[in-house]
Amino acid sequence: MEKILGKKSLPQWIRKLSSYKIYAPAKEGELWNFKVIDRPESVELDFSQTALSPKKIIFPQREVLLEFNSNENEVEVRQILSDEKPSVIFGVRPCDARALTLTDKVFGGDFEDPYYWKRRKATALVGLACTPPPSENCFCLSVDGSPYSKDGLDILMTDLGDRYFLESLTEKGNELIKAGRELFQEPKASDKKEAEKIWAESAKKIKRQVKELKKIPAKLKGMFESPFWDEESLSCIRCGICTYLCPTCHCFDINDEIVSSSPLKGERVRTWDNCQFPDFTMHSSGHNPRPDRASRLRQRIFHKFQYFVERYQNFQCTGCGRCVSKCPVRIDIIEVLDKVRDYGS
Amino acid sequence: MVNLEELKSEAKRILKEGKVKYIIGYARDTNGLLPKPVFIKKEEEADKLIWDPTCVYNLTRFIADEKRKMAREKKPDQRPVGLVIKGCDSRALVVLLQEKFINRGDVHLIGVSCENTGVIDERKLQKKLKGKKVEKIEFGEKENFIITTPEGKIEIPASEILAERCLECKANFPVVSDVLFGEKSKRKAESPFKSLEKIESLSAEERWAFWKAELDKCIRCYACRSVCPMCYCDECVVDTINFAVTADTTAEEKAQKIKWLEKSPVASENFIYHMVRAIHLAGRCIDCGECERVCPLDIPLRFLNKYLEKQAKELFGYEPGFDPEQPSLVASFKDEDPQDFIR
Repeated sequence: MEKILGKKSLPQWIRKLSSYKIYAPAKEGELWNFKVIDRPESVELDFSQTALSPKKIIFPQREVLLEFNSNENEVEVRQILSDEKPSVIFGVRPCDARALTLTDKVFGGDFEDPYYWKRRKATALVGLACTPPPSENCFCLSVDGSPYSKDGLDILMTDLGDRYFLESLTEKGNELIKAGRELFQEPKASDKKEAEKIWAESAKKIKRQVKELKKIPAKLKGMFESPFWDEESLSCIRCGICTYLCPTCHCFDINDEIVSSSPLKGERVRTWDNCQFPDFTMHSSGHNPRPDRASRLRQRIFHKFQYFVERYQNFQCTGCGRCVSKCPVRIDIIEVLDKVRDYGS
Repeated sequence: MVNLEELKSEAKRILKEGKVKYIIGYARDTNGLLPKPVFIKKEEEADKLIWDPTCVYNLTRFIADEKRKMAREKKPDQRPVGLVIKGCDSRALVVLLQEKFINRGDVHLIGVSCENTGVIDERKLQKKLKGKKVEKIEFGEKENFIITTPEGKIEIPASEILAERCLECKANFPVVSDVLFGEKSKRKAESPFKSLEKIESLSAEERWAFWKAELDKCIRCYACRSVCPMCYCDECVVDTINFAVTADTTAEEKAQKIKWLEKSPVASENFIYHMVRAIHLAGRCIDCGECERVCPLDIPLRFLNKYLEKQAKELFGYEPGFDPEQPSLVASFKDEDPQDFIR
């Protein structure tokens, strides 16, 4: 389904979606981030890139899995599954939506993670094509993406100046459009052509790329023991920015948070975890198989461009560029990959 | 003015003579405005070195890494590490000396002057230039920066694009060095605690609301800790890596290891993390501002450390990072120290 929506009608459409919890990018100081929207008229989709991707909504940094409560004879355990109403996230960038399709593979398959899927299925993603690319470090074209990719989205919107060109891509998307049906117009043939022209121009503006990325997975296989990682990680300060800001990183930890020890009462909580932290691989024996920054940088690159490719036939990176823009010491994943490709030749 | 060619020749000389094992400095990056920290081992690589107002990093932070590496090696190279060091970084280094974390002979200091100005705030500059590409940024003669863009040169008064910390700088040339490049000039900084006025004017309730909102944003990436030259503890309360486990350690002992804070990024735990860090930096922080620069969520962390810096100054007349012989604040006392907070 293709539609046209006047920009001025966007708040009205959002108002029609009152049965949903609405998220959209909002500016705080200099930063954009997804926030729950109470006032539809405050939504303006003229943001660049959100500091955190919508991963934070679907896979929250903290999530209670179960509660436990003991009395003298027994322990009562109660599973906690989110019972929030369905959500719509407006302004999802195509790379961030593609990232969720990759995380779907991890939390799907033989064992479906009920916590993840409950939110994932109850959330509709309304994307906004990147016209122009929102960051100087965008490199989606190198990792099989594009500024107008539809993967993972329910609707893709393209900004045509005074109006949006919308493409509904799923049943969820159709429902959202139906809810505000009188606000939309049928597109003219020229509208789609205009959108396509804008897409093509935007793709040309993406400056950064990794050439011949397809060669990387095989190349990495022979580089596990290479001194390359020591050299590349010299300036790494071992913070967790690259990983926590990444829309595809999904590692987590599970801890019991005790509210009372007698009688025993508390919650079992899942939180994001980070392969760049020293305790990530710490064994209870005292042995740490990844004891230094070199082995941790190697893990990040191997996971995204070797292990994940072998297992799921996709790179585990969608080229959003956040890790490049925000690294405190400018370790640049694009440069690292370029060096890997050319290493030893 | 710092003569970069002289700096490079000095770097080459000390590498050639084997006076240092390597030099930590700044080099231009292929992409973006800010440079990269580089580790130069060979004489011919010394041409990469730069010094300009984009050299924001506090390279003193990397000395802790070197110390850790040496502790792991059987026969570590005992020669000093060469370090390109500006005023604030040199004060951080002096704190490491005051705390006896390093010895003076562990480092060979290549001091560089900030030429009466300081380093830039990348965002302020980008706002000012409105999308113009930057080819080069240089220190000017008149407390300004000279910026080369494809459309020509622009002069901007330093105060308009300086990093916030530089506006309150107390040392814009190194307080300790083995060789010094550039002028020993002293810019008249604004009142050293001017930035605190905003937060100090708030009521207790307003302050609470302010910090609650700010610390709610924290995702606990620990970049503020990781970038800090003072955060050199082998084990930080946030990651438990040194729990001694022997054959006799029971499962209960492992399970009951003290957890100072939960991993959950909720207000209570975020407060504990940031308070622990702030308190540990009292009388040690020299306001290099790196914690605030690297925060991906823009939490104004300098307020916390600055406030304790002010307390140390007002209560104990203490300013860290000027005199290597002066004992650290928490490791010393004077009879006249205030005691009215002890009850």
